Amino acid sequence: MSIRRETTGGQPALEGALAERGLVVKVESRAGLAVLIADPATVTRLGDAELRRTALALAREHGFSHVAIELRSEGGRVPRADAPLSRD
Amino acid sequence: MKDIAADREDALAAWLRDRGRVAIGFSGGVDSAYLAVVARKTLGVENVLAIIGRSASYPAEQWATARSVADSFGVSVVELDTDELNDPRYAANPANRCYFCKTELWSRLVPLARERGFSTIVDGTNADDLGDYRPGAQAAKEHDVHSPLANLGFTKAEIRERSRLLGIPTWSQPSSPCLSSRLPYGTSVTPQRLGQVERAERALRALGIGGDLRVRYHDDLARVELSQRALAEWLSPERFAVLHNAVTAAGFARVALDLRGFRSGSLNVLHGVTAA
Repeated sequence: MSIRRETTGGQPALEGALAERGLVVKVESRAGLAVLIADPATVTRLGDAELRRTALALAREHGFSHVAIELRSEGGRVPRADAPLSRD
Repeated sequence: MKDIAADREDALAAWLRDRGRVAIGFSGGVDSAYLAVVARKTLGVENVLAIIGRSASYPAEQWATARSVADSFGVSVVELDTDELNDPRYAANPANRCYFCKTELWSRLVPLARERGFSTIVDGTNADDLGDYRPGAQAAKEHDVHSPLANLGFTKAEIRERSRLLGIPTWSQPSSPCLSSRLPYGTSVTPQRLGQVERAERALRALGIGGDLRVRYHDDLARVELSQRALAEWLSPERFAVLHNAVTAAGFARVALDLRGFRSGSLNVLHGVTAA
């Protein structure tokens, strides 16, 4: 089966709305699911429950019933599980 | 003074005594385990038969739990194979997929039970289930399968509490619907995909993730739903990388953590079958 992906009006608008809250992510739309492709710093920020609620509310406003976050490093790969822990 | 759940349990025992002998569609989940144990205590070993339907959509860990509960409480068990994946109506994964699965289950289980002298067949549907989209309930109705827990008003919470008091280990077990529930409607159900989901969930359990947990299948991407507590614990880059490695080893190319966390019937919401 081919991968279901679509570009909807909701996708760039959601990216913009999230960026206004300081969440710089790439949004991939898969029907009602928004996949937020984020760097490690953004993943860390979304550890905050209030910020997660904000992201979920924005996604709902833009037509997404589900939001999931995918971790991407700058090189396009997930950091190794045994990578040194960040110190900040 | 007795509480409501205790009164319901008395009513259940009375209903079972009226029936005399019962065969139970037994998955080893919270509900059917409770029903089997109460039936065994009420009617005795010779008057209760738990029947497990096994297929690729039935998690191996669930089967192990079912056998363990039955052994611990002296419940007789028969296992039969079901073949819903070879039914193209099921494999196409329509919104009423569960109807075809349960039709396959009951069409095999009910005759077996009757051959063995059990005219009353029951399942573990509870009162909470009645508010959800459950096309499988229609199949139960068509095969004259009774749902005493639902009919007597048992909620899931009450079943958990009564199970705890009876010492049934499933009392705190997360709900565990069949593996096909991890595939969005319209994505065909295959043994390979079910195996991928099962391996991924097992790998996450092996990392120590407790509570409700689902790996939802979205082609190359696994969307992982965790309990709120686990979600907070795993939303760090370092731990996310561990989780990612566990899930990709099961065959997914990409892994995403659902920001809302676990919700029952999540894919029903995604497809507009039930409200968000």
